[in-house]
Amino acid sequence: MTTALRDLIANPNAAELELVARYGMQPEDVRRERLFGAFAQSGLPNRRMEAWKWTDFKAALTTLDRPSTASVEDPIPYDGALVFKFTPTGFEAPADLPNGLSVFEKGEAQALGAAEDVPMGALAASLAGEKSRPATVLLEVTSSDLPRLHFQFSGAGEASFARIVIVVRPGMAVTVSESHLGGAGLEASVIEFGLQKNASAVRTIYQRGSREEAVASTALVHLDAEAQYTQTTLSFGAKLARLETRVTHQEPSASVTLNAAYLVGKGLHTDITTHVRHGANSCVTRQLTKGAVLDGGTGVFQGKFFVPRTAGQYTDADMQHKALLLEDGAVVFAKPELEIYADDVECAHGNTCGALDDNQLFYMRQRGIPEKTARALLTQAFVAEALEEAGELEELLRGEAEAWLGAA
Amino acid sequence: MRTMLKIENLTATVGDEDDAKTIINGLTLEVPKGEVHAIMGPNGAGKSTLSYVLTGRDGYEVTGGSATLNGDDILDMDPEERAAKGLFLSFQYPVEIPGVPVMTFVRAAMNAQRKTRGEDEISAPDFIKKSREVGKALKLDAEMLKRALNVGFSGGEKKRLEIYQMMMLEPNFLILDETDSGLDIDALKTVSDGVNAMRSPDRGMLVITHYQRLLDHIKPDKVHVLSKGRIVATGGPELALRLEKEGYEGILGEVA
Repeated sequence: MTTALRDLIANPNAAELELVARYGMQPEDVRRERLFGAFAQSGLPNRRMEAWKWTDFKAALTTLDRPSTASVEDPIPYDGALVFKFTPTGFEAPADLPNGLSVFEKGEAQALGAAEDVPMGALAASLAGEKSRPATVLLEVTSSDLPRLHFQFSGAGEASFARIVIVVRPGMAVTVSESHLGGAGLEASVIEFGLQKNASAVRTIYQRGSREEAVASTALVHLDAEAQYTQTTLSFGAKLARLETRVTHQEPSASVTLNAAYLVGKGLHTDITTHVRHGANSCVTRQLTKGAVLDGGTGVFQGKFFVPRTAGQYTDADMQHKALLLEDGAVVFAKPELEIYADDVECAHGNTCGALDDNQLFYMRQRGIPEKTARALLTQAFVAEALEEAGELEELLRGEAEAWLGAA
Repeated sequence: MRTMLKIENLTATVGDEDDAKTIINGLTLEVPKGEVHAIMGPNGAGKSTLSYVLTGRDGYEVTGGSATLNGDDILDMDPEERAAKGLFLSFQYPVEIPGVPVMTFVRAAMNAQRKTRGEDEISAPDFIKKSREVGKALKLDAEMLKRALNVGFSGGEKKRLEIYQMMMLEPNFLILDETDSGLDIDALKTVSDGVNAMRSPDRGMLVITHYQRLLDHIKPDKVHVLSKGRIVATGGPELALRLEKEGYEGILGEVA
């Protein structure tokens, strides 16, 4: 069977062969086989696939190596948070759980909806159970008074995989933070949110990696009636970093905020990809992505709103992507897409990409502010708007962004 | 030294090298300490260009002549160095700075200038006290000073904020570029009162304007007429009144 899977992948490279071998080390399991099959039918995503044309894992990840760079320190404070740690060799959950949170560590793989659409998510789900780690960490939230749940992805190794499922019961609210800190040659995770009627989740993602690491974070979010989901991402990129979020409004009157800021330096690459399906009427989506890229850095934004004919009536959705090219040699690719079949909807999108405004720079310099400071102030203010919905972590994310801009 | 701003035979071009146009063409002008000089001229005479050349905006290339402020050659300095030397331009169209509150901006500017001059930073309480006094004099709402600079402000509010910055930064030489444009009569009076409060024996001003109206409020010591990039006539305040009556064509026809 392993041979058959390998045959699925066209011209497998050393990294893909290693992934097949790792899959083969695990006990046989029909669902795991299906998950790995969803990955293997394409292999590592590459530029010949429309959704991956700017983020080519196959080209970037020829072998699966331990990077010479270590994980960065986690800037997100624990502050009494419930911390779950994922490393290439282990998993650690909090010893004491409060009332209102149940954690199930499942040894068997679980089915993943639309696995073919998220090959890196399918890969993460099929290999998460390696090295006696749980194949799925399932969390059930039955209270609104939980401390923040913090998921930390770090530690040295060739590869690290994780799968997390969070179910928020009706009317409950949860705050989640996530740090992807590098250390592994490939870190792939998939996290799913099931938000039941009138439940809410606030999720913050911090990602920072080196030029020797590839990161693929996939999130699948399902919202029942009147559920609310607010996501804020701050990404500094890696050799390749793909932060993908797929949202399904599956019952009426749910609302989603999807914000992201990417700050990318030389030799690094960040890809913010989102897909929002307005599969029920009267749902709201607000999306703001801001990027700032230096010479030799690459930013990718792919956003899509899909509004089917009958289900998506009274959709109210807005998608904005704005990128600053801070230096010559900075690269940004953007593909905002609205695919709308319903006729009574409000959908807007905007996409801009350019340098800092000369008028603003001159005005500030005329007042005595040195050019470097003026650039940093303008860029900080530009990026800060995308971090405003991060709740208790907004200040921290702003500080991280400012520190990067100050050093840039 | 009595002369503050001294411009000699200045020529400057605007635009790319390939199609640079000479806009300032042999301009000579002196503004002594304590005086207010007005520059009037028709559209396209080079009034705004002069203000940008003096403050060092990119895209404005000096091709000849000199300009000094208190004896320092300013043409080789970066815009921020000129600002630290005390040169302030009140913009015809103040620029919106999203995400940077007025007070944050002015404090950053003030401390940057002080740092360049080797002075200590202003303390937060001193800054707030000063801001409150200046804001009161200009009838500025305290809430307005917490909002992003010029974002969503009316034309009149933006001009008042230019004067606020001027009074906070206390520059020693001011260039007012069309400060009267976009102001109603009440706002014009508030803004003029602010500028007049800045008049001092240690400070010089260059007031650039189309119309004589502003000069009823800010009385100049001298009036210069700018045409085709050079000063073609100089006189007292009565010259402005004559311009208002006879138009630029009358005066320019006479000197041409």
